[in-house]
Amino acid sequence: MQVVLGTLLASLVPVVGFNAVMTSEHFASFLVFIVIHVVALAYYIKGILSPKMFKVAVTLVLAVGLVVCSAVIAVLIAMVASSPTKGWSGRSLSLLDPTYASKYIPIIASVSEHQPPTWPSYFMDINVLAFLVPAGIIACFLPLSDASSFMVLYIVTSVYFSGVMVRLMLVLAPAACIMSGIALSEAFDVFTRSIKCQLPGVSQNSQIDVGDSTSGSVVTQDEVVKTDKTEDSLKERPSKKNKKKERERERENVEKASIKTPIQKRLLVLPLESSVIALLLLVLLGAFYVVHCVWAAAEAYSAPSIVLTSRSHDGLHVFDDFREAYAWLSHNTEVDDKVASWWDYGYQTTAMANRTVIVDNNTWNNTHIATVGTAMSSPEKAAWEIFQSLDVKYVLVVFGGVVGYPSDDINKFLWMVRIGGGVFPHIKEPDYLRDGQYRIDSQATPTMLNCLMYKLSYYRFVETDGKGFDRVRGTEIGKKHFKLTHFEEVFTTHHWMVRIFKLKPPKNRIRGKTKKSKSKASSTTSSKRSGKSPWQ
Amino acid sequence: MFVQPKREKEIKPSQERQQRNTSLQQLGPKNILPLGYKCPRWPIFSPYSFSLKTPRSTLEQSRRDSRVRQTGERRDDDAMEAPQSSLRSALVFSFIAIAYLSLLVRSATLSSPELQILNAERRIDLTSHIIRVYLTLKVENTGAAPASEIFLAFPPAQVDHLAIVKAAATFGKKKKKSYLPLDVNPTDLPDAPNGAKCFSISLVSPLKTGESVTLEVLYILSHSLEPFPIEISQSESQLVYYHDSAIILSPYHIKHQTTFIKTSSPKVESFTRVEPSDRVGTELKYGPYEDRHSYSFSPIIVHFENNNPFAVVEELVREVEISHWGSLQVTERYKLVHAGARHKGVFSRLEYQHRPQFSGVSSFKHLLATLPPKVHSVYYRDEIGNISSSHLRTNSKKSELEIEPRYPLFGGWKATFVIGYGLPLQDFLFESPDGRRYLNFSFGCPLAETVVDKLTIKVVLPEGSKNPSAVVPFAVDQRIETSFSYLDVVGRTVVVLEKENVVPEHNSPFQVYYNFNPIFMVAEPLMLASVFFFFFIACVTYLHMDISIRK
Repeated sequence: MQVVLGTLLASLVPVVGFNAVMTSEHFASFLVFIVIHVVALAYYIKGILSPKMFKVAVTLVLAVGLVVCSAVIAVLIAMVASSPTKGWSGRSLSLLDPTYASKYIPIIASVSEHQPPTWPSYFMDINVLAFLVPAGIIACFLPLSDASSFMVLYIVTSVYFSGVMVRLMLVLAPAACIMSGIALSEAFDVFTRSIKCQLPGVSQNSQIDVGDSTSGSVVTQDEVVKTDKTEDSLKERPSKKNKKKERERERENVEKASIKTPIQKRLLVLPLESSVIALLLLVLLGAFYVVHCVWAAAEAYSAPSIVLTSRSHDGLHVFDDFREAYAWLSHNTEVDDKVASWWDYGYQTTAMANRTVIVDNNTWNNTHIATVGTAMSSPEKAAWEIFQSLDVKYVLVVFGGVVGYPSDDINKFLWMVRIGGGVFPHIKEPDYLRDGQYRIDSQATPTMLNCLMYKLSYYRFVETDGKGFDRVRGTEIGKKHFKLTHFEEVFTTHHWMVRIFKLKPPKNRIRGKTKKSKSKASSTTSSKRSGKSPWQ
Repeated sequence: MFVQPKREKEIKPSQERQQRNTSLQQLGPKNILPLGYKCPRWPIFSPYSFSLKTPRSTLEQSRRDSRVRQTGERRDDDAMEAPQSSLRSALVFSFIAIAYLSLLVRSATLSSPELQILNAERRIDLTSHIIRVYLTLKVENTGAAPASEIFLAFPPAQVDHLAIVKAAATFGKKKKKSYLPLDVNPTDLPDAPNGAKCFSISLVSPLKTGESVTLEVLYILSHSLEPFPIEISQSESQLVYYHDSAIILSPYHIKHQTTFIKTSSPKVESFTRVEPSDRVGTELKYGPYEDRHSYSFSPIIVHFENNNPFAVVEELVREVEISHWGSLQVTERYKLVHAGARHKGVFSRLEYQHRPQFSGVSSFKHLLATLPPKVHSVYYRDEIGNISSSHLRTNSKKSELEIEPRYPLFGGWKATFVIGYGLPLQDFLFESPDGRRYLNFSFGCPLAETVVDKLTIKVVLPEGSKNPSAVVPFAVDQRIETSFSYLDVVGRTVVVLEKENVVPEHNSPFQVYYNFNPIFMVAEPLMLASVFFFFFIACVTYLHMDISIRK
């Protein structure tokens, strides 16, 4: 029922719609759903029919069902095969084949959340769990039951998915929690039992106490049964602590303990001191993990990415440049002005500046994003024409070179080139690279130094310090003194992080050139109407 | 006395013509009208005529405004509007004669006192965008009847921007001067020409024949500095025009008068010369002029540099919420604009940061709000969250909140923000002797040196308060609204006070009186408690009830 309800709810979301049933990703879950219900139905019918009748019914149903099923499957296969990606969306395909996105859809690969995570990010996110998870897996295998095998499958798939994309760390989190929980509980089990065994008075008392209580006998019986069952596993258990010495000691202890009681004989017991210390360490580990979690939640996950802070010797310094720019846009531009920026800032501009944007974080329209990418990587005049055709009035760029804000538009620029080049082939990535290296200093290619993004970012930058030293890239910029011909600076925030430029109005035509430009203009407008890009 | 105005800079032809007109006017009793308009002559009724014009007045306006008046006598001169034919003028003449006669009859009973101003000194302070004019008048009663009212006249262009008029009578000699504030009310003088508006100052004791009194008048004009050029770029400084009259506009004869104009900087591009006039540093001096007749007018223009922040709050809504549990919550919503010369072209942060003395001199980025002492939980935010650039300094006298808008404001740029704070109730809420409670709070805008175009104060009284009445020291629009907050049943009474054109001088306390029964304080907690009580009672009864049919 949950599958049906969930699918219904999901299809109510406008963006999802019928994708929840139409795309191939969801077939597996529906198949499981159907199989479960068929089995349940079969059992139900078996219950109400006599065995003879049931046999007849089974043959009947099988005959009809097979025909129907094969027909349905044939139709499905035909439908799936007809679509180029076999009904799989780009994001899920890149899950199965991590190189898929970067090969075919650069826009998916360009999102930082879609990058494969690094080891530090694992450690940052799940911290000690990263070490407890393998222990948990081993613990699951010791008595391999249905539940534990499910857990193993769960952790393996989620580790794979999280390895493909950073954002799927979310999938890993619950699995990692469960596994390390298992590991911890097993460890506590071992340590507390060994302590219990070595404190004879306590253990006897506790046994008496247990006996007094109502469920005590059951518990002891369980224990006996458990120990019988998992005799082998108990022997194995300390091995996961990877301490050979302890194992040797423990054998000695076992020999010692075996003198005492028959039950304790079977237990593998650790020395009292080491187990107490190990327990304390485990508790400490957990406590530090809590501290780490609070810190990570506060610093990495709660800090808004649009208000940046830096700590210096004279206190906290706030970089509120994004909101400064958005507030300026919302109060000092016309209501129906359109703002072009890279799509990362689309939703922010819409929400905070209340202005129409050309592309936003709903990266659904790849061509549109490619158009903006092309404009950013074109020379000034071509870019101006593209923006003019999009009815753009302001262009917003993010520039971190003054304060050293690394995720600025210059660092994202190669993706703009790639995405733009994916749709408009006259933008070629090698034109922007010198010997395969992305650089903005004097060694940069002329295409790079003349593109709009470079010019808008570094416009009059050299006058700040006289040299034009970019703090993010750590070099002096290549082209220092230049003027803008088609754009004018209308606003730059306090730390230069956001720069807003306005498109200059079209120039009046000179009399003699009217004819030529007229024919040109008409050709561009006609090509615009035909739906092709006029700048190709 | 005809003096061609000396020009420091080129004056536009239209201005020149007007200036010549005005100087001609001073030659004698002639009605000076713009070119192309025939001036009717009324030798009997217009011994002193004038044309009250702002330099920008159009032909129509001056035509409408051309009225004639005889000193000392009141008359209805509506009928004198530029009669074209002799027949019509004869008719008008007879009508006026009748009116004149009837007035003569009335004057015996109504007593129109004859006053004259012995000495007038006017100091116009143009240092900020709020113009403060200090007027010292020595008024003498030369008529037969005692005078209880003294009138002040303002040209119509100033009346629209007039924010406040205050007057005080001076007593005693230099060392032991004492001031007695007097009531000032707008009135209509029927003989006021050209749409000039009058204010009447009510004297405490009528001025008897031959006596004289010294008055100190302060009036404040907002939006009266007109930026010219209208648009400036980032590197230019802001130049403004100020229009006024060299001669004090007054319904009385002025024997001796001087005007001092103080500009914000010694950079004065040009000013109209009306001899004797002089300029020393930041001070312009017009006068002394002797024996000017009533309603004399001589327009002047001062074109000077003023880079003070032209901070104008287009709309300010202050919401004061009273809670009898001990706190007063104030929320102020601002729509701020830089009302100076509009910013033109590029804004270069580089210029702004590296050459602050040359770049964006007329822009501003700091504002100072003076809040009451013991202010707590202050916030400063806008629609997209907290604005981190603010500082609060508190001491026992006052709290100062220094705020910075998100971006520096250049001419024409706007910003909106909200300031909120809490105050202890005992400092503002009192009980009057008749058992009513009253809130004593400051009117006006807490921001220093700002003009508020439209100020709305909403005093949200606690639920259950009755008979609200507001006492404000000046005229405001009042109305009552009802608002609902959490757990309100009947709603809260809101006293709404609205006033336009508010300047810092309006920051005087006002009172809102209301009746309140303290039982209403516990109404909401009781309501909540009883809801939970009944809920638990219902749960308990449900658990203890056996509603099954089986026995």
